[in-house]
Amino acid sequence: MVNALILIALGLGAAFLIGLLPSRWRGLAYAITLAALAAMAAIAGGWVWYFAMEGGQALEIHTAGTPPPFAVALHLGMAEAVLTLLVTVTSLLSAIYLKDTLHRLGRRAMAVLLILTMSLAGIILTRDLFNLYVFIELMVIATAGLVLLSASRFALGAGFKYLIISQLVSILMLIGLIFAYHATGTLNIDGMADAALITRQGGMLAFFLLFIAMLAELKPFPANGWALDLYESAHPAFSAILSSAIAGAAALYAVDKLLLIGGTEWLPVATAVGLTSFVAANLLALPQDKDRRLLGYSSIGQVGLILVVIGQQDILGDDYLFIAGGILLSHAVAKAGLFWLSGFIPEQGLSAWSVLRQRPLLLFGFVTFIAMLTGLPPFPGFYAKWELMGALADADRIGVMILLLFAALVEAAYLFRWFGYVIKREPNEGIAQPRPPLRKCLVVHSATAIGWGLAWVWGELSVHANLLHALPLLFALGFLLIEGLPAWLKNSVAIAGLLAWFWLSYPGYDPMQLIFGAVILVGGALILLASYHAHGKRIGFYPSAMLMYAGLAMLIVAETSFQFFAAWELLTIGSYFLILRGKHSEPHALSYLVFSLGGAFLILAGFSLAAQGADIFLVSALSELSEPLAPWIFALLAIGFMTKTAAIGLHIWLPGAHAEAETDVSPMVSGILLKAGVFGLITLALTMGKQQLFGIELTHVMLWIGALSALIGNLLAAFQEDAKRLLAYSSIGQMGYALFGIAMMNHLGLLMALMFVINHYIYKSMLFLSVGGIAKRTGTRDMYRMGGLITLMPLSFIAVLIGIIAVSGVPPLSGFGGRWITYNAIIDIETRLPLVILFLAGPIAFLYLFRLIHTIFLGQLKDEHRKLKEAPFWILLPQMIFVVCLMIFALVPGLALRHVDNYINQFYPGGGLDWAGLTITSQYGYWAPIPIMVVVGAIFATLFLWLVFVNRKAQKVKQFNIVFAAERPHRPETTHFAWNFFAPYRKALGFLTEPYVTRFWETISEALHSGADLTRRIYTGNGQTYAIHLLAFVVAVYLLGVGL
Amino acid sequence: MTPSSFEWIQIPYALLTLFIVVNFGMLLTALMQKIGARVGRRHGIPIWQNYADLIKNYALRTSITHGVMFYLGPVFRLSGGVGLLLFVPTIYGSVMFANFSFAGDLILALYFVFFGTLGMALGAGESGHPYSAIGITRGLSQVTAAELPFALAVFAIALQYQTLSITEIVAAQQGGVSNWTLFTNPLAVTAAMLGFLGSMMRPPFDVVLAPQEIPIGPPTEYHSSYLALMQTNRAIFPIAKIVVYMNLFFGGAASWPVFFFKVFCIYMVSVFVGVVFPRFRVEQSIRWFLVWAVPIGVAAILLV
Repeated sequence: MVNALILIALGLGAAFLIGLLPSRWRGLAYAITLAALAAMAAIAGGWVWYFAMEGGQALEIHTAGTPPPFAVALHLGMAEAVLTLLVTVTSLLSAIYLKDTLHRLGRRAMAVLLILTMSLAGIILTRDLFNLYVFIELMVIATAGLVLLSASRFALGAGFKYLIISQLVSILMLIGLIFAYHATGTLNIDGMADAALITRQGGMLAFFLLFIAMLAELKPFPANGWALDLYESAHPAFSAILSSAIAGAAALYAVDKLLLIGGTEWLPVATAVGLTSFVAANLLALPQDKDRRLLGYSSIGQVGLILVVIGQQDILGDDYLFIAGGILLSHAVAKAGLFWLSGFIPEQGLSAWSVLRQRPLLLFGFVTFIAMLTGLPPFPGFYAKWELMGALADADRIGVMILLLFAALVEAAYLFRWFGYVIKREPNEGIAQPRPPLRKCLVVHSATAIGWGLAWVWGELSVHANLLHALPLLFALGFLLIEGLPAWLKNSVAIAGLLAWFWLSYPGYDPMQLIFGAVILVGGALILLASYHAHGKRIGFYPSAMLMYAGLAMLIVAETSFQFFAAWELLTIGSYFLILRGKHSEPHALSYLVFSLGGAFLILAGFSLAAQGADIFLVSALSELSEPLAPWIFALLAIGFMTKTAAIGLHIWLPGAHAEAETDVSPMVSGILLKAGVFGLITLALTMGKQQLFGIELTHVMLWIGALSALIGNLLAAFQEDAKRLLAYSSIGQMGYALFGIAMMNHLGLLMALMFVINHYIYKSMLFLSVGGIAKRTGTRDMYRMGGLITLMPLSFIAVLIGIIAVSGVPPLSGFGGRWITYNAIIDIETRLPLVILFLAGPIAFLYLFRLIHTIFLGQLKDEHRKLKEAPFWILLPQMIFVVCLMIFALVPGLALRHVDNYINQFYPGGGLDWAGLTITSQYGYWAPIPIMVVVGAIFATLFLWLVFVNRKAQKVKQFNIVFAAERPHRPETTHFAWNFFAPYRKALGFLTEPYVTRFWETISEALHSGADLTRRIYTGNGQTYAIHLLAFVVAVYLLGVGL
Repeated sequence: MTPSSFEWIQIPYALLTLFIVVNFGMLLTALMQKIGARVGRRHGIPIWQNYADLIKNYALRTSITHGVMFYLGPVFRLSGGVGLLLFVPTIYGSVMFANFSFAGDLILALYFVFFGTLGMALGAGESGHPYSAIGITRGLSQVTAAELPFALAVFAIALQYQTLSITEIVAAQQGGVSNWTLFTNPLAVTAAMLGFLGSMMRPPFDVVLAPQEIPIGPPTEYHSSYLALMQTNRAIFPIAKIVVYMNLFFGGAASWPVFFFKVFCIYMVSVFVGVVFPRFRVEQSIRWFLVWAVPIGVAAILLV
């Protein structure tokens, strides 16, 4: 174990040594700089090893051989070791990145960098207040030096403003220091804490001045205009240090140390300042379109978040370091990585980042950083977020929870909007493809690697299972390694993987899991057959798709709330990447993500409240919750799950996301992904049952939502011109039925929901594939541009025909079974009014279904389509398999439902079906699928043969062999009745389709954006204004902390 | 409840039912036409007109087809009518005329109605005639609203009798006129009968076929034996539908004479209304059903 003083001496010594060199010897100076930084990093690494692996105890290091207060003391524990490592590694990597710049600027810049690093380590290690002040001064001067060394005039201005503010801060700190020393007679932080500084006369003010000075170093909102300018104008590699090492590590740790003196009564102040920063900075980042400024806002926000964690340390207990460290390290690594990346981008606009698309590894780094910042699994932020929410919920700090989750959602929104730009936008004309040197790329790659390493470490440290040990997730991530292989090969691996996982897991499934497992895994494999149609490598498709499937597979077997939530986030993020692949899906994918993450945060809040501080909370334990918390938890979880089933009000993401997705992605996200929400709702209904909030039965509310979803979904589907949008709206309706079934809270209602799960998977996947295949051939999804395709695409026609008969619920196909169970289920329920809406919704399905088949396949063939071929083989093949499945399921529904019907008995005893013989019997009625099929088939065949017999000489006529309006038409466009097909219906019920919900969400989004835009104007760019901000901030915090 | 199962003898029995109903339907629809004409001081068609039309259509020497679906349309249509008839017991208490009701209950009948509608619409669609398509949009739009009060009424009586089996519902209404649903649950019957008006293709709800306005709606391009099949359906389908109404609301029929009488009376309701009121446009009829018929249906399910 190397003495801490050596680390500081190394930095200082190297800086002096460089000063002694002739200024021409830049190579040597640079080598010394790197060597010194590397040695410092190695020392810090050694400490981390010592504490983590060898179980070392924290050390007090006394300088001058004397204990405080007569000499400066340093403290070295796990936290100091990790932070020092972070600071030194960031500096080292930045120094590598900055090679050219440092060479150009010469040895002085290198010395300044070394001094900066050394001072940061000092800030982290020291326990002496004056020493802290000295190191901070050093840091300020070094920072200003590095900024001022930059050539840009803007940077010059920013550096000057920084100096102004820093001097103000220093004055505050120095005065505070003097008073504190006067009051306690020691400069040692622990000594001051022991002497209870704040209880002494003037002690409170002294502490306040110290504290506010340190807070100001964190650049909290609104006293941070200068910092934004700094982030924007400094060299990106320096911004990386500024964001992750200076603000992220050193200053935060200094605040944490000071709070030892302040005690618990100052924690709320830290929380309030942190929350304000986190919320405001993220809101202000929302309308931002310059990359570095956006990163600046995000840094301020993240630092605010960590400050909140520091402020909450009274309730976090042993988890404090785990949580604060998880968020801090995620932020530091990700922000440094992003700033380094920004150096490769030729322009400051967000769209310019799309040049990264040409560099898959860098792009992977970008995704990693964004996922780390957003706190997605498997990164440390995810574990930290989970524990933090659990602790907040346990301590009843609901307000903090709400604000944190809200701001985190806003942050995710702008980060992923940015990601969408990168994937989808084209850079401005004339932007050169960046060719960063390998050295700089390696710096970014090492940040990526560190990010994944931290993910593993945090998984190991977590009391929950390490997500990186989950086989499905590893399988999905494994596709990243074989991205170079051709798509057909990866597709085969994917199919084999899904089937193998099903084979391995199915003995452990209960009947209900089996239904979902079969739909997800076997069903997923079936849809993947269509992916054989894709050519080339299809970079990005398989990791995303498999991530979604991994999440789904983990979801249905999740036992603890943590596993459930982790799986939920994985499937959300995987499906987001998948949806984003569509040609025009950028805004829709974003809206999907925002709604899904919003829903996920509600689920997180719900589970956190439910756990009541327990580390491990079993999902099945939801049933043991009681009033007054239980109904709230139910509502949170239900709304969260309903974002996934796109229940009305939360549905606006679905049509675009499903319609714009690729041909083989639409069936995945529609046929399979929506079922995750259904699974969640079923779990919820089975564990928590009926809950009352303000005297309202929540399941009754769900009945209404289900019925309205069915109605509005169907109605909107009937008015679509775009075939895939029509199917997407139809999914909203279908999921409305499933929701209704679950909310009925009886045996057959649940069975009905499961029937819809299976049916909807089969027919919606089939229809999306058919329509996708047709769209591929015709080049359009607008139905009125098609027509008469039946002879050219007979197999697609058959698939759609079977599909729509099944969806509509007409016997003899399987949709009827769903309707029959529905009728049997509703006889038992008490709330009958929502049924009226459900009944109205039913026949409306005919409108859109007929429209779908008629305007595409029937009517008049367009001239430009005369030479079209049938849809591609690989897209047709799964459709034909679906037709067979549908027929089998129609004939013997018992095959899939019988066991689950028995299984449901343990939740809702009695009221099930009798499956004996060919007839399925309920308490009220009966239904015999096979005889129905036989009777209908016999009648149909007889009549058909009869017609063939009497009409054998019928002459096949060509198109346009019709007459109307006293002429024989000759143009398909004027003859094909297709556009605005249900005009009279629109006249009668069109008022129901007004986009109220869309307007509602748009208004919210608009208000957030314009509010942020307005607030942003406080940043005038004027140093004096910024000084006033700082003073106002000081006064406000004083009033908050002392005065009120 | 357990339904009886299939025996081969049921096939000739079912054919017998079919035979009786087809002929009754042919005569009855002609009679109704005639009654309507007489109200308008016209002479009307001869009572055997439907037979003549049928023979003529089968006898036409030339016919054309627009494609496979065009061919299948009438087959779907007539299968829908025949199936609906055969899935519902015709004569209460008679094994002979219970048809294939063992295959499914009321819900089967309710949903099988759409089998023919959908198939027919598809066939008409392939003809490529815009008038067919316009007729279909009108028909589908109207049926969504017209079915609603009926569905509510069906649900109301399923709640009332606690069964979905048609036979059991008829059984519950035996023992005097006062046991009929008509009197035990007048709201449901009112709602259902208002819905009934919408499905009988008579004014004010006949804009779908709309004589004079557009030539004849969905069947525009149909002729010869196709039309013959559809005509047969036009004889069967209203009867099949009325059988459902009769069983659910009017005590069913224990013998053929009662059957003929009740079907005639129920049919007459739509004729009465039809000769009195002028035609609605589609959006008008949708609003009419939602404003007048649906609230009654809602009251029926709430008060049952």
